[in-house]
Amino acid sequence: MRFEKYFEPASIKECCELLVEYGKDAKLLAGGTDLVPKMKAEVLAPKAVISLHKIPGLETYKLCDKGVTIGALMPLRKLSLCEDLNKWPALKAAAGHVSSMQIRNQATLGGNACNASPSADAVEGLMVYDAIVNIAGPNGDREVEIADFFKGPGKTDLKEGEFVVSFFVPAPEEGTGAAYRKFAIRGDTDISIVGAGARLLLKDGKIADARITLASVAPTPMRAVKTEEFLIGKTPDEETAKAAGKIARDEAKPISDPRASAWYRKDIVEVEVYHAILDAAAAVK
Amino acid sequence: MSEIEKIRVELTVNGKHHVLYVSPCKTLLEVLREDLNLIGTKRGCDDSNCGVCTVLVNGQAIKSCTMLIPLANGCDITTIEGLEREGGLHPLQQAFIDRFAVQCGYCTPAMILTAKAILDENPNASEEEIRDGLHGNLCRCTGYTKIMEAILDVRDGKYKESCGEV
Ligand SMILES: Cc1cc2nc3c(=O)[nH]c(=O)nc-3n(C[C@H](O)[C@H](O)[C@H](O)COP(=O)(O)OP(=O)(O)OC[C@H]3O[C@@H](n4cnc5c(N)ncnc54)[C@H](O)[C@@H]3O)c2cc1C
Ligand code: FES
Ligand code: FES
Repeated sequence: MRFEKYFEPASIKECCELLVEYGKDAKLLAGGTDLVPKMKAEVLAPKAVISLHKIPGLETYKLCDKGVTIGALMPLRKLSLCEDLNKWPALKAAAGHVSSMQIRNQATLGGNACNASPSADAVEGLMVYDAIVNIAGPNGDREVEIADFFKGPGKTDLKEGEFVVSFFVPAPEEGTGAAYRKFAIRGDTDISIVGAGARLLLKDGKIADARITLASVAPTPMRAVKTEEFLIGKTPDEETAKAAGKIARDEAKPISDPRASAWYRKDIVEVEVYHAILDAAAAVK
Repeated sequence: MSEIEKIRVELTVNGKHHVLYVSPCKTLLEVLREDLNLIGTKRGCDDSNCGVCTVLVNGQAIKSCTMLIPLANGCDITTIEGLEREGGLHPLQQAFIDRFAVQCGYCTPAMILTAKAILDENPNASEEEIRDGLHGNLCRCTGYTKIMEAILDVRDGKYKESCGEV
């Protein structure tokens, strides 16, 4: 593994300037759990590696009335265990399903998103809560909804010179329950065959708002919009969850790969969405 | 490709302070083995899967083959060489021997350090929590049962020193 230049910018501005200067020849280093194996395998061969670790404030989170802002460098294990974030159980669960303890100690939330893998687990937690991606760039800051951030396998909405600074995760309304489920053959160390997230807002025993998100079944992390629409106004019982699972199965657009065939993934979507909905309903306080 | 400029890295490894000038392209694993000659930390897959390169960085278990050396700058690192103390082995080391949790031994330094990280954080970790913590560590020989028994012996206080004070 060799690169030619290594930088540790001390500010957001300096980092953007370096990204502009090196363009496609640069790669940002967060935890490195994705970047380092890819550089070793020569899947990626950047000339310049730019560490984010000297930029102040990227590792922390800040709570406010409306929600929480989580820095891009927040390690996934810290996130999954953070008591201050108990309002967002599906985000904590999703982060906690990323690989092993060692990887979670090192891997960051920003890295999980910017990797833009369709199978990313922590991303599902952001999708479940309609998180906003806070982006810094040479022309100033901007915001993107998480569902619009992914453009294809390994592709994000980031333009030259831009990087992710933090995520804003809105506080769920009173009466909300949420869950994330990962299905993989060898447990969390394995990449998911299917990931399914659900958030339900209940009013008078009926579903008033719903998010259903899926991992590993499309070119990007996806929202199962038809399933969400179907759920509105329904009672969150077994019958509803079963019917919703069937709709999600049709919405999923998986491919066959060495981990699982497309039809198997569809079968699993049906089962996992069913469980995610019931888990979310049970989690409503 | 031009040779990259070396960077200054300060590490405290097993209590000993080091100032090194190394290529930032190196991993922590390479620096430990090649620059500091601490070969108790093993290299297996070298692609972040097998876990045999696990060390503790500021008390947290990480895979050293996956950590670029600049990210370890300023950190406190514990390798298997740092566990033995005056007059004997660390309880986990002794328990692994007593329970015959070592066969070829290749995974052992990492298993012990990972177990230490688990018990340091939660001295009463349940069997399930210990298994979950060890999920990133492969052993091709023992079938894991003996490893679990050794760790549970230490958790249950069968060795006079408790974990968590190393
Ligand atoms: C053995 C193993 C198992 C894994 N299992 C899982 C799993 O089960 N589930 C899962 O979701 N992932 C898994 N991964 C993938 C990876 O660990 C995660 O995606 C992780 O969250 C990446 O975070 P990082 O901080 O290490 O990213 P890095 O490797 O540092 O970065 C990843 C990519 O994002 C870019 N980047 C990072 N931060 C930013 C930023 N703030 N702004 C712009 N670009 C940025 C980098 O340039 C790089 O291209 C696994 C990886 C390994 C090695
Ligand atoms: S050598 Fe690091 S995980 Fe295998
Ligand atoms: S003892 Fe041989 S790999 Fe574990």
